Amino acid sequence: MKWSQFFNTSIGKKLLVGATGFFLCAFVIVHLAGNISLLKDDGGEAFNTYAAFMGHNGFIQFLAWGLKVIILLHAIIAIVLTVQNQRARPVKYAVKPGNKTSSWYSRQMAVMGSILFIFLVIHLSQFWWAMHYGDIGTVSYGAVTEVGNLYEVVYAGFAQLWIVVLYVLGMIALSFHLIHGFKSACQTFGLNHKKYNGILNFIGIYLFGILIPVGFAVIPVVIYLKQI
Amino acid sequence: MKLTLKVWRQQNSQEKGRFETYQVSDVSKDMSFLEVFDVLNERLINEGKDPIAFDHDCREGICGMCSMYINGRAHGPWDETTTCQLHMRAYNDGDTIVVEPWRAAAFPVIKDLTVDRTAFDRIIQAGGYISVNTGNAVDANAIPIDKHDADAAFAAAACIGCGACVAACKNSSAMLFTSAKVSQLALLPQGHPERKQRALNMVAQMDKEGFGSCTNTGACEAECPKGISLTNIARLNREVLVAGLSSE
Repeated sequence: MKWSQFFNTSIGKKLLVGATGFFLCAFVIVHLAGNISLLKDDGGEAFNTYAAFMGHNGFIQFLAWGLKVIILLHAIIAIVLTVQNQRARPVKYAVKPGNKTSSWYSRQMAVMGSILFIFLVIHLSQFWWAMHYGDIGTVSYGAVTEVGNLYEVVYAGFAQLWIVVLYVLGMIALSFHLIHGFKSACQTFGLNHKKYNGILNFIGIYLFGILIPVGFAVIPVVIYLKQI
Repeated sequence: MKLTLKVWRQQNSQEKGRFETYQVSDVSKDMSFLEVFDVLNERLINEGKDPIAFDHDCREGICGMCSMYINGRAHGPWDETTTCQLHMRAYNDGDTIVVEPWRAAAFPVIKDLTVDRTAFDRIIQAGGYISVNTGNAVDANAIPIDKHDADAAFAAAACIGCGACVAACKNSSAMLFTSAKVSQLALLPQGHPERKQRALNMVAQMDKEGFGSCTNTGACEAECPKGISLTNIARLNREVLVAGLSSE
């Protein structure tokens, strides 16, 4: 079977969604680890230095563009699969089983994914665009001179309650998307084994479902509370 | 008991169907679900009306024919039960029961509650076979097989091909069925010569038939009358991954 044929099968497409999903799981860990420095009470030195490093390191920039391609790939293949899945049942049931046979969030991956995509567009236009193409002020810290003051942009953004609410809602969608997504991607790659299911479930629920989304949500909430 | 049955009536695969409501009285708690339909059909025949077409064969829970989607559940509310083994003690006097056929593009309605499941036959034809030598019969147990593998293969072989997995899945995916058929052969040494080609061909046929893909919600496993496990789907995914990466 040729590559093109393989990745055209339903399982081949699902493997691509799963693989890109795993990459995005790794990304959210790194993203949170860096951005938690926003909460450091140093006037933005740690965060701005970190943001300047991320914005100018060649390898990071390569990964950043790769990340955007991977997000689009993940979304596009998932949309293709969702359309095919919809077509597989042209006449719908009059009575549906509700949550008796499956969890509601496992059935709403496309909805949660769409919410996350809208969130990402807002998030990127708010901070990534401002950092790269916007007119933001610069600051200097000792040896590090003339770095963009993204810290100030973030603090100004999170002073508005509706933006904070939007971010918290986005992270709720992320939580449910990852609780099912991580475990589901494992299953797609054939990782379903009595001895390892416990740890995979633990990682899926507690790391990706709770720790990461709560960690992200804490940042805008704390910044908002600091400024009122 | 008195029951209200809302049953899907459809003349053939071309025409649009609709629900028709029937009142059935004197239903005993000891009757099977199919027996209620037998009683109702006798009445319809006596009244000169068209009886409700539904599939049934063994009525012992092993043939997989009795495909009814009852109040939002494949084969009704009981776990690991076919419709013929569902008994009316599951219901109370005055209940309304909605009965629909399996709904999937790959399972077109033939009439009323009867659907065409030959798509499953074609998936099996695509790879559900093994090579055997002709000549004298081989001694039983001549090939050593790990007990766990034998048990897992046997558990996968319990699939009766009823299609409840497809009916229960929000995507009408046939992954649980296909994975059971691939697993029962992949786990045994007799199945190894065709192992890679089998997984790829059966999945290709599954896609061609118009079944959806698996989103791992687990509804199929919850509704399977034979308790086929999701570990079979993981095995099919592994088989396809290895075959897809290594075959030319």
